[in-house]
Order: sequence, then structure tokens, then C-alpha cells
Amino acid sequence: MGTVNVAFSIMTQALEANQAALNIVANNVANANTPGYTTESPNFQQSQPLQIGGVSYGDGVTETGATSARDRVLTERLNQQQQTASSTSARLTALNTVQALFTPDSGSSAGQAGDISSDLTGFFNSFSSLEENPANNSMREEVLSSASTLAADVSNAAAGLNSQRSAIDQEASGVTGQVNSLTSAISQLNLQIQSTSPDSDAGTLEDQRQQDLSQLSQLIGVNQITTENNGISVTTTAGQPLVSEGQNFQLTTGSVNGVTHFFVSGADITSQLAGGGGQLGGYLTARDQDLPAVLGSLDQLAYSVSTQVNSLNNAGTDLAGDNGNAGDIFSAPPGLASGNAAGSAAAMSVVMTDPNHIAAAGTGMGTGDNSNATAMAALGNKAIVNGSTPTDYYANLVSQLGAEVSNVQTENTAASASVTQLQTQNNALSSVNLNDEASAMSNFERSYQAASQVFTMLNTIIASVLNLGSQATVS
Amino acid sequence: MRVDPSYVTNLVGSLDDAQASQQQLTAELSSGVSITSLSQNPVASGENVLLLNQIQQDDSFTQSTNLVTGQLQVADSTLGSVVSQLTQAISLATQANNGTQNPSDVKSIASQISGILDEVQSLANTSYQGQYIFSGGQTSTTPFATSTASSPAVTGYNGDTDVNYLVTPNGQKIQLNVPGSQIFLGNGSNNVFGALNALIADYSSGTVDTTKAVSDTTALSTSLGYVSQQRVTIDNSIGQVTAAGDAVTSAQTQLTSAQTNLMQADVGQVSTQLSLSETQQTALEDVIAQLESQSNSLFSKLQ
Repeated sequence: MGTVNVAFSIMTQALEANQAALNIVANNVANANTPGYTTESPNFQQSQPLQIGGVSYGDGVTETGATSARDRVLTERLNQQQQTASSTSARLTALNTVQALFTPDSGSSAGQAGDISSDLTGFFNSFSSLEENPANNSMREEVLSSASTLAADVSNAAAGLNSQRSAIDQEASGVTGQVNSLTSAISQLNLQIQSTSPDSDAGTLEDQRQQDLSQLSQLIGVNQITTENNGISVTTTAGQPLVSEGQNFQLTTGSVNGVTHFFVSGADITSQLAGGGGQLGGYLTARDQDLPAVLGSLDQLAYSVSTQVNSLNNAGTDLAGDNGNAGDIFSAPPGLASGNAAGSAAAMSVVMTDPNHIAAAGTGMGTGDNSNATAMAALGNKAIVNGSTPTDYYANLVSQLGAEVSNVQTENTAASASVTQLQTQNNALSSVNLNDEASAMSNFERSYQAASQVFTMLNTIIASVLNLGSQATVS
Repeated sequence: MRVDPSYVTNLVGSLDDAQASQQQLTAELSSGVSITSLSQNPVASGENVLLLNQIQQDDSFTQSTNLVTGQLQVADSTLGSVVSQLTQAISLATQANNGTQNPSDVKSIASQISGILDEVQSLANTSYQGQYIFSGGQTSTTPFATSTASSPAVTGYNGDTDVNYLVTPNGQKIQLNVPGSQIFLGNGSNNVFGALNALIADYSSGTVDTTKAVSDTTALSTSLGYVSQQRVTIDNSIGQVTAAGDAVTSAQTQLTSAQTNLMQADVGQVSTQLSLSETQQTALEDVIAQLESQSNSLFSKLQ
């Protein structure tokens, strides 16, 4: 009789195992849309066989818990690509705003507002017009008004760049809080995982930890290192620790020379973060490299044009008879004394108010002379800005900026495509596939039904045995 | 093989891309400009700056030529009047010198030549838009004034010898003025005013020193020839300005067409792209709708 009882016990285990498997399927279906959830599959394990009289008998099945379908190498690779994609995307957003300040001028008519190249041409053209009639007041007014337009557009562009820079600065410092809460969550999860499953995949906890790592990768460039007892240490790309097992190191901010710098454990890691990836890396590259480069070029242009025009104006004779001391047309750049162009674009303005002080005539010449106006008009085609003419220099600035934006765009497209590809691979492996779940469910349901049937049959058999062949008390 | 179950999401991503591309193409069609941001074509953006610079320089020069031509034409016609006045003075002097005139006729000729002197001086003091055109660089100073303190009277020059040039976009320098001293004082040797003043002095008494008067008349003739030579300089400048203006206008036309080619949207091409993109979008929408309408999960088949 022992054998029939064993069969009962085997079927009970089978029912339990299939029920557990159905629970796992139900959990998968329930979490089909949960971010970071990794699909789980049941593990059936054959029970230890019984040895009776030297013969081995199977002793049923147990369900030993769910296994997450996870490839940690793939997720780490995905995280790394995500860092590049986030970094280029943040940088691209910043650069797109920058290039909007320098929209190409499509019109062919002179002097369209807001376009520095037209302003430059218009300004030097106003001196060409002054050549025809150097004493003409309306032409002198034209010089001052085109100078004002140029100065206003250059200083507006510089102001636009500066305000974008501070906006990016704020965005960057806003990232710190999110980074800190994620690193703190990862360190807590490390502790939990180390205590609950030091030797194997921690399932849901691991899902959460991977999800946090993936979010962290969007924000900042990180490396992850698996430590003993299933812990994970996180460092920045340059190697500063952010999470060491159960401990996290806060990213702090401080203002250095008017911009936000980032510190971990007292060390300034701003420059390392800039090349490191993630949103923060992109913001910092834009803030510390891309925008200063454009601003620097604009400063150089403003500095050279202002100083050259001023020095020529002071080398001629104006309508009021000032000879060699007619005064400045543009405000002196802030770094004039030291020859430093920084800040020149933002500070560019016209200080001359009386058009009679434009020195159209050469030194010592009558006021009807135009040789100085000719010289000033010629500045427009002279290599006065770092070895280029003002227009060439500006054209170069525009092409370089455009090429930079285009490069970052290409990088971003490539990184995003790579992320999509890795994401697809990872989804194929780890996300819940409802077709698979449906088929698994049918499978387990049938097994459960079969086990129930066997159980019923066994029950009938035992009833027959108890009634000893007669239809009586037990059914 | 397992597949990514969320492939519809990727299709929606493609749908977004198609819509973004349509937005860009529609913007190109409505603005007529193919490059709306620097990154679309960095090289063309730089080239555009250079082309516009040249076009605007040419545009500005074309406007300048009108004004300059006006000023040069005033100078030319003024010198034309001077020439006819001087011709008249020479014929009067020749008449006075032939020995047939009585003293009162000679005096009358002196007074007529004096009138011519005033006229020539007034022509030499011509201004254009408030600026004296024959005073060199001293355009706010009346260039010529006659002092009668001595006999013969002396007409002095208060301008200078400054010459202005207009520089064309190609760098060609065109002379804009001839200083009055060069035209009317002939740098000393061909002095119009000197000859006129001498003739007035010769005839004012009524008696004529024929030798001196003939020599002064010859001097006036020589000066007249010199004035005509100076007028040629002005005429040359007018010709140069017109030629430069024409050259610049034709260059500007070419540059404008190059700039248009560079920046303007090719309507046919953009429309074709737009239509392709719309077809793609419709196809994607159909695929998505079909995938959504089909119950693409085995669960729907389970009873």
C-alpha cells in the first residue's frame, strides 16, 4: 500500500509545483509593463529518488523558485551606450540653442536685422559711402547707426550665449540631487542583496538595482564593479567612488569663478565629469567647452573690430577739426590694457554720439578729405581678426559651429541607434513576452489538470481497495 | 529565438521620425529656404556669409555710384561753362587787341571780361550738396576770392591740393575731384584767373599795350587748353564709375544667383521628398493599426 500513498504524495507535490509555476506566470503577466522588471521562469527540480530494495523510484517534483532572465554583461553594455547617448543628447540640445543665435541669413538685401555678418558688411559699407561725400551729415549718421546695429547684435549674441551658459549650469547642478538619491538607493540595495542572496541573482531586488544603475547612466558617466557577496561598486568614469557596497559618496556642488563645480569627498571632479558621459557630462562639455569656444570667437571679433576702428578714428581728422584725437567710436574692450579679448563681445557698444567726430579725413587734411574713411572701409577686407578679414572670420565661426553641431548630431544618432539595438536585445531576453507566458500557462495548467486527474484516479483506486470490491460505504 | 515584444514602440519611433522630417520639409517649402540652421550644411552656411558680404558690398557700391556720378557730372558741366566763358573772354580780348577799338569800346571789353571773371570765379566756387567741389579737401571753405588791393587784381586759392578717391569692391581707385588750384591756377603756369585779371588791367584804362595784351591773351588761351585737359580727368572718372557700376551690377547678379542656388529650397525636390515621407507615414500607420487590431497575443486564443 505504501506505493499508492507515495503516488499521492508525488501528485500533491506536482500540484504545488505547477501552482507555484502558475504564480510565476501570473507575476510575469502582472509586471509586463513594469519598468526594469525582468521576466522570471520557474525552476522544477526532481525530488531525490527513493531506493527500495536496490531499486530507485522517482519521488516527484518541487518548484525551487524563479530565475530572472538577465544578462548582466548586456545590461552593463546598454548602460554604457546610454551614457554616451545621454551625453551627446544634452550637448546637442545646448548646441541647437546656440546655433539658433546664428541662423543663416537667406535674404540678399543689405542689413537684415539680427545677422552679424550683414551688420559687419553694413558697417564697413557705411564708410565706403562716406568716401563719396565725407562731410555729409546723413552719411556720418549712417556710420553711427550701422555701428550701433553691429554692436547691439554682437552684444545680444554674447548675452544670449552667457544666459544659455548659466541655464545649462543650473540644469547641471539640478542633476546632483537625482544622482545622490540613486547612489543612496543602490547602496541600500547592495546591503539588502548581500544579506538575502549573496550567492545568486537577487530577482526583484536586482531588477531595482539594475533600474537604478540604468537611470544613473542617463545622468552621469559611471563604471560598475561587482564585489563579493553580489554587491556592486559604482565609480565615475574617471574612477572617483560613488557607491562602495553599502556606502554612498554624495556628489556636492559649489560655485567656483561663477560656475558650478562638482565635488566628491572634497575633490573637485568637474573636468573629469565633462568628458565622462551622461547628461551631466554633456551639459558640462557644452558649458565649459562648446559655448566658451563660440563666445571666445565672438569676443575676438568684437575686440579686433572695436580696437582697429577706434585706433583709425583717432588717427584722422574729424569734421569738428580734431586732428588725431577724434575719439573712440566703440567702447574700449574691457581687456584692452592687457590685450585680452575676453568679455569684449558682451561689452561692445557705441560710445560716440556726435557723428561729426567720425574722422573721415586723413591727419592734417581738410575736412573734405576721405582718405581715413577709405582706410576704415578697407578694414572690412583686411586681415584684422586673428589673420582673417572680419567677414572671413565670422564665416569661419559659423561653419565651425555648424560642423560641431552636425558632428554631435551624428554622434547622437549613432549612440541612440546603438542604444535601441542593445535595448531590443535586452528586451528580447528580459522583458515579459505575453505569447511565451500564454504558452507556459497552458502548459502548467495542463500539467496541473493531469496531476488532478491522477489524484482522482488514485482516490478511486484507494476507494476500491477500502471497499474490497463491493459498492458500499466509501466512494 | 526570442524577440523584443515591444516592437510596436519602435514603429512609433519611426513614425515620429517621419513626422519630424515632414515638419522640416514643410518649413523649407513655406520659407523657400533650404538651410534653416547651420548644422544642416555648415560649409554652405559659411559660404553664404561670404556671398552675402560681397553682394551687399556690391549693392552699396551701386548706390554710391549714383551719387558720385551726380557730383562728377556737376563738376563736368561746371567746367563746360567755364570753357565757354573763357572762349568768350578770348574772343573779346582778340577784338580789343586788333587796334580798331576806340578807348570806350576797350573799357567796355574790360568790364565784360571783368563780368566773365566774376562768372568763372562763381563757377569755381560751385558746391554740390553743400560742399565746394573745387577746394580739394577743404570742402567747407570757399576756394576762390579776388582781392582788388593791387593792380592787376589777384584771385587767391583757399583750398588745398587734396584728391579723393572712391575705391571699388575690386580695389580700383577712381579719382573723385580735381583740386581748384590745379584747374584754375594751373599750378602757377596756366593761371586762368591770373590771365583774366591781367587782361582786365590791360583794358581798364582804355588804351591797349598791344604786346602785353596779346601775350596775356595767349596765356588765357593756354590756360583754357589746360582747363579742358583737367575736364578730361573728370570725364574719365565718370566713365570709370559707370563701367565699375556696370561690372559690379553684373557681378552682383551672378553672386545673387549663386547665393540663391546655395540657400533656396528646390521646390520640386522638396515636394517629392515630402510626398515620399507622407507615403512612409501612411504605411507605418497602417502597419501599426493592423498590429494593434490583430490580437497579437496567444492569450486571446485561450479559452
